[in-house]
Parts: sequence; structure tokens; C-alpha cells
Amino acid sequence: MMRTFPFGTAALLMLFCSIVSGAWLGLHPAAQKQADLTFWTFTKIHYDPYTETIPTFEQQHHCKVDLQLVDTRAVTSRLQAAMLSDVDVPDLVEIPIDFAPAFFRGPLEHVGFIDLTQRIHQAGLWDKMVQARFAPYTSRGHIFGLPHDVHPVQLAYRSDIFAQEGVDVSKIKTWDDFIRIGRKLTIPNKRYMLELYDFRSAHLEACMFQRGGGYFDPQGHCIFDNDIGVQTMLWFVPLVAGPHKIAGSIGSGQILTQAVEDGYFLCLVCPDWRSKSIEKDIPRMAGKMKLMPLPAVTANSRHTSTWGGTMLGITRHCKNPDLAWQLALHLYLNKKELGKRYEGTNILPALRAAWSEPSFSQPRPYWCNQPIGALYAKLAPDVPFQYTSPFIATAKDKLGEALVACVQYYNANGDNGFEPFVRATLKEKADQVRALAARNPY
Amino acid sequence: MTTTTLEHSAVEPSAQRASQWHRVQHRLAPYLFVSPFLILFVLFGAWPIIKSLVLSTYTTNGPKDAVYVGAKNFQFLLSDADFHVAVKNTAVFAFWSVVLQLPTALGLAILLSQPWVRGRALFRLAFFAPYLVGSVFVAVLFNVLFQPQYGLINTVLHFLLPSHFPLDYKWLEDASHVMPALVLAGLWLYVGLHMIYLLAAIQAVDKDLYEAAQVDGANTRQQFWAVTLPGIRPVAIFVLLTSTIGSFQLFDLPYILLNNGPGPNQSGLTIVMYLYNTGFVTGDLGYASAVGWTLALGVLLISLIQLRVTGAFKGENE
Repeated sequence: MMRTFPFGTAALLMLFCSIVSGAWLGLHPAAQKQADLTFWTFTKIHYDPYTETIPTFEQQHHCKVDLQLVDTRAVTSRLQAAMLSDVDVPDLVEIPIDFAPAFFRGPLEHVGFIDLTQRIHQAGLWDKMVQARFAPYTSRGHIFGLPHDVHPVQLAYRSDIFAQEGVDVSKIKTWDDFIRIGRKLTIPNKRYMLELYDFRSAHLEACMFQRGGGYFDPQGHCIFDNDIGVQTMLWFVPLVAGPHKIAGSIGSGQILTQAVEDGYFLCLVCPDWRSKSIEKDIPRMAGKMKLMPLPAVTANSRHTSTWGGTMLGITRHCKNPDLAWQLALHLYLNKKELGKRYEGTNILPALRAAWSEPSFSQPRPYWCNQPIGALYAKLAPDVPFQYTSPFIATAKDKLGEALVACVQYYNANGDNGFEPFVRATLKEKADQVRALAARNPY
Repeated sequence: MTTTTLEHSAVEPSAQRASQWHRVQHRLAPYLFVSPFLILFVLFGAWPIIKSLVLSTYTTNGPKDAVYVGAKNFQFLLSDADFHVAVKNTAVFAFWSVVLQLPTALGLAILLSQPWVRGRALFRLAFFAPYLVGSVFVAVLFNVLFQPQYGLINTVLHFLLPSHFPLDYKWLEDASHVMPALVLAGLWLYVGLHMIYLLAAIQAVDKDLYEAAQVDGANTRQQFWAVTLPGIRPVAIFVLLTSTIGSFQLFDLPYILLNNGPGPNQSGLTIVMYLYNTGFVTGDLGYASAVGWTLALGVLLISLIQLRVTGAFKGENE
């Protein structure tokens, strides 16, 4: 054979190897999945506590759950690819708030997630959970996700420096009070009252939500250029630009750690999840940090906002939606587990009844023995509604662009012609979102 | 005579069969060997390309809904401000990449080909090393280097030029500084790779030509223009082409450097990043395909212009 094969021994060997390896692969197909449910989550903060609680569920329901940790960005691209090809679609997925609405595009019957509206109402969750948190996962009146959290926002501050400077935090009721003190404490290029992004929308949107504004209305129309949006921008920009700025941004990670330790920033916008990041990333500030409610816009208005979020959805590909729903309830409604989970994450669950668990009112040494869980829980019922659309990511980018343009304008011209500029810029950016959204017939 | 004929006719059928088998093998074997590649290419190359071309004429809404829109996706591109920003950013990056990376790489290649430079091997490795660690690592590294107040670049610049560079000079948070930051990071990442190509080309230039030039009285500069440059021309054209195409495909470097986004005011938005956002964040794969095809045609056009301008076609004909 070797002698008669015209392309030589090497080529014959290659052919032989490929046939043998192909045959071996053909005879050894990939092992069938043993799990009854496959569940993706995108953060280790969720993954770790789930690994502890899922075995209990498996025992109770005599099933096997395959919990997978998938990177935040990969969740969306992998899930989309999986749904497009109908291959390896998980049964349950946790998705960050900014990426979830993209999956609600198209006709309702083609949305990749099961409509949970009926199940939620039947289980009484609409009343048991913070209703505002269903809004981001609702499309055309249908709820496609169970909210994992509330994420109320407070301000974390350097209590040692405030004490040195004689600042009485209890007297800070409104943003006007806060800004007045901020002007006294800020030393340009050395110390700023507050960390606020002047180049992306995250902090601006929290302020907009606090005022009752948002990116979209309940029908999914882009509204960030409405009067609330304009007023928020007019108020926000002088905080981060111009001669009297009291806030700025510096980056994240170790740089921010250094900045807080050095007293470069005295306050940080602090939703519940960030309080854990601060504990972990800035350990040397233990006993020097405290939380205070967000100053109100006007007296008697809300003292909080919201930043971030996660939903849990059941995909249409799920073969056993009832079991998946049971798992969702096990993860999101088990008071004891939620209390335990809070200790490791500082994240306030959307289930109101869980907030009475002892762990939520435990004093935290890092935060000068403040019972931070109770503080967040007190603010949670006031968390603003946050309506969304599949174009939320674009809207965020556009609001960020408007912010950059307004900051540049304010740095160059100050108050002169600022309001018309803000209105025009916000409208231009919102129109771009509308143009994109107009292409979506649903 | 009769015996010979009989013997001949007895041998002939088996010899004929062997020769026929040989002919069949000759005809089929090439196809057999090419078939694994062809099958894989058709499945994972040609089919997705055709599918994406078809998809570019649809608006996709979610995983299962697609509406035929003809050329409307391409029409929308013409009025899409974000796409225009992405094209502008990508073109600016490509221009500065070529303008800065190639001369720097050539300079380094010439320098490190000189026998009088001590530790050349070490320097070659040092300059090539950033490419070995990859763009994600480089992006993470530069993200830290470019930080205001505590970043190394600001610390050094502030030390050298305190009035021009305050410590809180914003590279990645200020829209007007993002592109210089990207170009700098790109320069550090890719210059070593280009240098290696050019170095190999320089070392391959016939030494006799230099000797002949010296005999003719050519100085070092004249030798460079008359001997080195023409000698490395094919490689230089290749580097120019791959560098331009690579610049137009830019994604991971700005994506990581700017914390998974396009940066302030979309200043770091590239065409591929826009494609990714459109397809996988907003969920319109049809429009993303239109962006992809426009990019592919644009790169093809630019490559053809470059080949024409650099005389590559002419060289081939000669």
C-alpha cells in the first residue's frame, strides 16, 4: 500500500491519522449532560453563595443543577449566540440590568425568556418584592425577569475627615446643604467633596432617577431630554466642571483606593453592592468610613436613587420551567438564605420580608458600627422606577456624550448660554436614540 | 512469438488494473487532501460570509425575528452619527499607526541590525515582548499607566513639564486625549512586531550590494535609499498592508483600555466595536452585518489603493 500510494509515506500517515482520530471522535461522542437545569450567573459575588444553597435545592427536588459562572460580557454574546442557534441555551440566566432589555426585542412570542408575569402575581411576589425593581425587566407590560436586588444608593464618606473639619452630617438634608459644605472642604487638585464621573452617565443617571427622571418612559420612549433631564444636567455639570467644582473622577481599582485613603475624595456614591467593594478594596479605611442617605433634591423628597441591578430569567428553551421557577424562588425568596447571603455581599434583596433578618441590622465595624443593611432597607421602598428599552446601552452612551459636551461647554463659557446648550445637546442625543429605536417595529 | 504474446496477455490485466488504480488515486488524492480544509472552510468560512451578506439586508429583532429591509441598513449607515464617529476614529488611528509605527519600527530594525550595538538580541526581545503578551494585557497595563493623579505617565510628565501636565491630566476620561493614548498604546504594542519583519528583511539584503555601493562611493544615507529600501520593499509593503488592515480591525485594545466601552464622547469607538455593540448589546445582527460588510469593502478598497500607490502590482507584473 505504502509503495503504491502516490504521495508518499508521510501523506499516507497523515491520512491514516485523520481517519483514526475521526473514527475515535465519532465513537466517543461528548457525554450527555446530566443536569436537569443549567444556570448561568455572571459574577462570583452571586456564584459563591449559590454554590452553597443549590445542593439543598437539589436534595429537596431530587434533581441536578449545573451552575456556571460566565463573564458579564460573555453572558450576553453567548446567550444570544445560543438562542440564535438553539444550541446549549441555559435554563436560567442572571443578566445585568444594562444588557437584559436587548433580549426583549422583537414580537413578544419570540422573546427568548418566558413571560413570568402570571407566575409573579400568582406567587404574590408583586406585593412581596419592591415593585420598582420589576420595571427594568418589563417590556410591553410583560415581566421577563425576577429582580435579584434593590440597589438603593447612599453616600459613603470619610467620617474621620468630616469630624476633623467639624461637619455635622445630620444637618445635610438637601443637595444644597451638601454643596455648601463641599465648597468649603474642596481644595482644587488636592481634595474633592465627591467622586462623580464627568465623562460617563452612571452618576448623572442616578441623580436623574432621584429626581424622577429616566432614560425611557413606561412605553419605552426615550425621554432623557425632558425637563427633568435638562434640570439634572444643569445642576450636575457645575459640580464637576468650572471654577467651583466640588467633584471629579479619577478611575477605579487601586487608583480609587489610593484616592480615598489619601482623602482626595471625601464621599463616594454608594449603592449597596459598592459598600462591599469598598470594604474589600479599601480595607485600611475600616472604622473611618460611614454611610449617609443621599441628600434630597428638595426638602421632603427622596433620599436615595438606584445604580445597577440583576434579573433572573427562565429561557424559552427550558424543558422544565416549573422546576426552574422553583429554583428561582429558592434563590430569591428564602429569607434565611438571603440573610446569610447579605453578609457576604451587602446586597439588599428585592424581597421585603428578608430585610427583617438579624444580619441586616448587624452593626458593621468597617462602617463605624453602622447597621448598614437596615440603613439601605430604610431607603429601599423609595427607590425610583427605572424604565428601559432594548436601546438602553445606546441611551447611556448618548447621555454620556451629552455630559461630556456640556462639561466642555461649561468649562469654556460658564453659565453663559448654558441652558439652551444643554437643551439642544440632550435633544440631539435623544433624537439619535429615537432614530435607532424607530428601526425596531415592536 | 506465440509464447511471448500469451505471457504478455496474462500480465496485462493486472498491470492495467494497477495502472488504472494509480490514475484514480492521482485524480482523487488531491481532492481528498483538500477536502478537510474545504469542508471546514465552507462550513465555518464561506457559509457565514454568505449568511452575513443575506443578514445585512434584514433588521433582526431578537433571536428569531428578522424583517427584510433590502438596502435600508446600508442607507441608515449613511445617516448614523455613531457609525461616522467610528469610521473617523478608526481612520485616525490607522493613519497615526502607520505614520508612527512603521518609521519607528524601521528605525529600530536598522539600529538593531548594526553590529556595533551591544546586546542586540536582548533589545530585539524587549521590543518584541509587548506583542507576545498580547493586546489585552497591554490595555490593562496602559489603563493603569494613564490614570490621573497616580499613574506613572502623568507622574513622569508632570515631573518633566509641570506647567503642561498637571498630575490629574486625564488621558482616558477626556475625549480629546483618548486617541493619543490609544495610538501610544498601539505603538508600544505593535512596533516590535513590525520591527522583526523589517529586521529580517534588512538582514536578507545582499551584502554584496552594499559593498558595490561603497565601491561606487555611496555614503550611508545613499546606501539606505539605494540599497536598503528597495531591498526591503516587498516586506515593507506587507507590513504597511497588515498594519493598516489590523488598525481597521481594532477592537480589544480600546475596549479594554476604556473599561469595556467607547470612552468619553465615543472618542475610542472603532468600527468593530460599533459592530459588536450593535450586534451583541443592542441585538440587531442585521445592521451589525451591514457594518461588517461596509468595513470589509472599505478595507479592501484601501488595501488596493495602497498596493497601487506602493507599486506592488507593477512589481508583480515585472
